Amino acid sequence: MFFFGYILPYAAAAVFVVGMVRRTWDWLSRPVPLPLTVSSVAGGRRARAAAVAKELVLFPSLYRGDRRLWLSAWLMHASLLVVLVGHTVGIAFAAQQFRYFGASKEASVWLSGAMGLLVGLVFTVALLTVLYRRAANVEVKRISGPDDYLALVLLLCVAASGLAMRYSAEVDLAEVRTYLAGLLVFRASPLPRAWLFLVHFAAVNALLLYFPFSKLVHLTGAFVGRSLLVQPPPVYPTPADGPTAAPLFSQGDRP
Amino acid sequence: MKSPMRLAKAEDVRAIGLAPAAEEERKPRLLAKLKELRGSMRSLAVMLDTCVKCGNCVRQCHSYLGTGDPLNAPPARADLMRKLYRRHFTLAGRLLGRITGAEDFDAQTLDAWLTYFYQCNECRRCAVFCPLGVDTAEVTIAGRHLLSELGMVPRFMQQVALNLQKTGNNMGIPKPALLDSVEFLQCEMLEETGLAVKIPVDQAGSEILYIPSSADFFTNVDTIIGVAKMFHALGASWTISSAVLEAANFGLLFNDSAMRAHNRRMRQAAEELGAELVLQGECGHGWRAARLCTEAASGPVRFRLMHVLDYTARNLGRLALRRLSMRVALHDPCNYARAGDLIDEPRRILRACVEELVELAPNREETFCCGGGSGILMDEMMEIRLKLGKKKAEQIQAAGRIDYLAAGCSICKAQLPHVAAHYGMPDLAIGGVMDLVGKAMDMNRSTGGV
Ligand code: SF4
Ligand code: SF4
Repeated sequence: MFFFGYILPYAAAAVFVVGMVRRTWDWLSRPVPLPLTVSSVAGGRRARAAAVAKELVLFPSLYRGDRRLWLSAWLMHASLLVVLVGHTVGIAFAAQQFRYFGASKEASVWLSGAMGLLVGLVFTVALLTVLYRRAANVEVKRISGPDDYLALVLLLCVAASGLAMRYSAEVDLAEVRTYLAGLLVFRASPLPRAWLFLVHFAAVNALLLYFPFSKLVHLTGAFVGRSLLVQPPPVYPTPADGPTAAPLFSQGDRP
Repeated sequence: MKSPMRLAKAEDVRAIGLAPAAEEERKPRLLAKLKELRGSMRSLAVMLDTCVKCGNCVRQCHSYLGTGDPLNAPPARADLMRKLYRRHFTLAGRLLGRITGAEDFDAQTLDAWLTYFYQCNECRRCAVFCPLGVDTAEVTIAGRHLLSELGMVPRFMQQVALNLQKTGNNMGIPKPALLDSVEFLQCEMLEETGLAVKIPVDQAGSEILYIPSSADFFTNVDTIIGVAKMFHALGASWTISSAVLEAANFGLLFNDSAMRAHNRRMRQAAEELGAELVLQGECGHGWRAARLCTEAASGPVRFRLMHVLDYTARNLGRLALRRLSMRVALHDPCNYARAGDLIDEPRRILRACVEELVELAPNREETFCCGGGSGILMDEMMEIRLKLGKKKAEQIQAAGRIDYLAAGCSICKAQLPHVAAHYGMPDLAIGGVMDLVGKAMDMNRSTGGV
């Protein structure tokens, strides 16, 4: 249990962070010998960044392709983001964050719980929809491999155990909070023994360990990939001070 | 399924400067080259890693829709390379194998690559629909290049490359034959307009070097006639070069060094003639190669580089055009719409030249490929070509009665008549955009424009 409670979380976090940084660096350190602009964006670097951001915030390419996929994919990503923010805020403020907006102590805890429940449910339903589509739509099923299911199943484990924790009399959220806050400041607090929490915690660690070796690297890969498509085309005649066209993420790496 | 596409023989491959690999050498060479290529291309590196198999691109690929072959679905196509990459170059793939989609090289690998990388028209429609920006064409272009590094090149591409080496054009037209057909075209134009409209060849000191598609001297003569008339009307100082009579650059579609070599031909000709502006003729992928690759292949350069449709659109006000009474549909060639930024220009030109312009749906950035894209024009591929053209045919049918289909790209012009005939539109007139400019121009009023 010592390993599980006090070593694994740090190891998993380290694998996740180092893995993602290395992976991303691995892409960005490669040159872009030939631009693959699909369409050039008027305006400078900022306009291109805005074009990439729009795609990554709203997923318009999914919207144009398949509305249902768009809805479930967008909800899945958006609710995950809210869940992550919720965890951070909830743990940092011990669910008292809404008191800053004038709520009473009890109301803040209630609101925090209700929002967590709602967003958690949305996340779970979205994951289930995406999983169903993967298994039921022949065309998607054909292109899916074991790893595509694995990523979804891991996320579902995280989501379902997290939701269930809210209903378990056994789980003491205050105790969980103390433990997690302790991890963050490197001060050991007792590991809660409620099994639902242990399942949730194990699933999160497994996910972090798996992340940098899987397709989930699209977390940063999406920025790299989309930015390649809006790279400005070269200018002719070549300006006296050298090529002006540069990818979003680096400059002057073309011969 | 094995592709009917014929490959070039080993000695022919050597003739274009590539080194065929012996059977046992194939796997190690492929892996070494893949590693090298991935190292030198950010696009390939990120695209091999990030596809999440969401499937959004699957039904956007005309190749999959037309052939119904599951391996023509973009992510499945890219997986043909991805599984090898996973197996050899990722930790997870080496440790866990198939669970991560990793698979090793086997007896089928190269056949599958040849079949499915050459049933991708490099049209990039999938990229427009991928939320992560995965451009399957980038993967298949890399795949075709790797095949060429093993000496596996379609006979068709090898012949084009050989012709380019010898004559600077795909069709292998030598200079005397070129002069003959220029003479013939000038006579035609004299007869039609009563004016001495010239097609200058190798004229040093010209401001503009025009790079036509070599097919313009055989099958698409109306395109070059339209261009010549426009230059005449504008009083432009222009020339074509017998050394680079080819806007197409097939190297982009099968071998990177061949692409660079042809690109340098353009630069050399422009410098020798002292041209200040290089104008690319009606060729889709050729425009992509010129516009996006010149800097890397031949740069830095001192000339401006433009497409003839852009040039024409900018000069519309100086041309006396009378609208032809025709109902014309516009086909957006993939490489104009998804690499070339030539979307509004052909529309502006056509609106000035014809009475009615109809749009195919979908169009612009979402245009469907004609099915011949990336030089899949081999006769032995005809059956597959017709399947690849199915989506385009449906679009044309849906447009109702049209008098002319404007397709400003030589590959489209070579492919679409087969598609039209096969799908019950044998009488459809198909040609370039500049063809109509030539026909709509009132030469007497335009003359002396400048
Ligand atoms: S580039 Fe075109 S043909 Fe190739 S996979 Fe993508 S959509 Fe299909
Ligand atoms: S749209 Fe992109 S991420 Fe989705 S399956 Fe196609 S290539 Fe993969």
